[in-house]
Amino acid sequence: MSNTPETDDDHAATATAADTVLRTEGITKRFGGLTAVNDVDVEVHEGEIVGLIGPNGAGKSTLFNCITGTLTADEGRVTLQGEDVTDWPEYKIARAGLGRMFQETRIFGGMSVRKNLLLAAQEGGADIGGLLRRPDDSLMERTNELLDYVDLGGLADTRAGRLSFGQQKLIEFVMELMAEPDLLLMDEPAGGINPTMLENLIDYIRTANDEEEATIFLIEHNMDFVMEIADRIYVLAHGERIATGTPDEIQHNQHVIDAYLGRE
Amino acid sequence: MSTDPDTSGLLRSILPPERLDRLFDLCGAHGWKLIAAGAVVGALPPVFGLREGYMMTVLSEMFLFAILALSWDIVGGQTGYPSFGNMAFFGIGGYATAILVKDAAISFPIAMVGAVVAVLVFAAVNGLIVLRLRGHYFAIATLGILLAIQQVTRNLDITGGASGKILFDVPPGIVFYYFFLAVLVVEMAVVYYLTQTRFGFILNAIRDDEGKATAMGFNTTYYKTAAWMLAALFTGLAGGAYGLFNTFLDPQTAYNGAWNVELIAMALMGGTGTVAGPVIGAFGLHTIIEYVESSFVGWQLVLLGAAIIVTVIRFPKGVVGTLRAYANEMDYYERGGMAATDDEEVTTDE
Repeated sequence: MSNTPETDDDHAATATAADTVLRTEGITKRFGGLTAVNDVDVEVHEGEIVGLIGPNGAGKSTLFNCITGTLTADEGRVTLQGEDVTDWPEYKIARAGLGRMFQETRIFGGMSVRKNLLLAAQEGGADIGGLLRRPDDSLMERTNELLDYVDLGGLADTRAGRLSFGQQKLIEFVMELMAEPDLLLMDEPAGGINPTMLENLIDYIRTANDEEEATIFLIEHNMDFVMEIADRIYVLAHGERIATGTPDEIQHNQHVIDAYLGRE
Repeated sequence: MSTDPDTSGLLRSILPPERLDRLFDLCGAHGWKLIAAGAVVGALPPVFGLREGYMMTVLSEMFLFAILALSWDIVGGQTGYPSFGNMAFFGIGGYATAILVKDAAISFPIAMVGAVVAVLVFAAVNGLIVLRLRGHYFAIATLGILLAIQQVTRNLDITGGASGKILFDVPPGIVFYYFFLAVLVVEMAVVYYLTQTRFGFILNAIRDDEGKATAMGFNTTYYKTAAWMLAALFTGLAGGAYGLFNTFLDPQTAYNGAWNVELIAMALMGGTGTVAGPVIGAFGLHTIIEYVESSFVGWQLVLLGAAIIVTVIRFPKGVVGTLRAYANEMDYYERGGMAATDDEEVTTDE
């Protein structure tokens, strides 16, 4: 059982190095005198959905920011698909296969929904030819398919900023399906959306995981959601990793219960 | 929303939104033909005898301002970086051409090539610096560069210092009329094409949320600099021809800060982030300014200020943007869109 921090790596140990998509080793990030993230190791393997939970201020978003390159870790290493990306700029890490959905949902409000999706498609890349070509039919078809999939087909030519919050969240998710990153980081996907849409979102994430083999690492406060969807969970408190295990193990872990109840 | 439904009853009866929407769709589908038609119409006046005089000059200046406004919009409207220093490209283009033509006795077309190279180098270097700033900081920095360049030019011998350069033996006005028209048509075609490409999408993405664009894997500095250089290219071409067109160039004319405000106003009034907007704004505002200037000398700047205030408060989307919003207002609901509060109805599969 992985009830203590010392023996919690049995899941990671069973996986081979080859299918490790993301690995952080000893990530530490300080802001002045505050150590927001302290010596944190995580591993995400291909095809997994891994949850990251912890009380407010535990350092979850900071850890995400160190992984994406938005912040640079003071210590430690981030490896993506076997490559050390610790000091890479954010855009380069994204291009190497890291997708990110933001807590507050960020899409391009002044552009049509379709253009948001076309932009997310990675093919065409950054070469001049790809930049100066108009999107081809197969790409257009893919946008139609994905929009129909989330029942937003009729809004393809609408300005994305006019969509409701829930719709925008779906669009941000579909943009990631368009991009097909090796690893998708989601910051509170269940935040601020109603129960019906939450059910749908769980379905969509599951389907993406089952059928497209999407690998997902997500921060979540909604415990029902994360317990239902995650294969494994990491728990942070005060910047430190206090536990990892299956949802079932985490729910019965005394360290975790204490952290959430505010006991040290 | 800038279109107030209660006050647009008259508009509604004359031009219902559905009809305007169809018109926009039609324009969108035939953009190339519209640009070509505009080129033909623009080429006609001289054919029918307008070859010199006041009207000729006014029309040439209209094309010139349209070039400047559309160039400003590539970075200011499409990319969301409002520059107050575009006239620096104009002045550098102008002085480079003037020096090459007058002092080096190089022919006008070849001098223009030299001017373009000078402007592009300048834009690349300063773009990599100022484009790291955003919002107000960017605007102030570009204005600072414009003023600095103006001072430097004033103190150099090669530029003729404060008294400037007088240019003799310039081509006749009709050459500049067609030159400005040609540059404008090419620029409209280029911008129109780019708005349909991945490059154009990336510029819009930077405007809407640069942080998100970076998180999606775009090195935004690279794209911003490319847009900046494209704007510099067309502004520099216009400036290069302007010195000869005007037969005189001094620091005040070449780096005209008031013009810089004027071309921003044109883009705003026409509608930023569109191809037609800045051009319509330039034609409209230049006509008005020209009229006011000839009837009430000095009042054109007062008018300009008032016009900017009214535009920003009442019609922030400009002519094109406001009409487009009006045309699309029903669209969203008809196609299944919901207000922000009722999104539970959106995905009702079960």
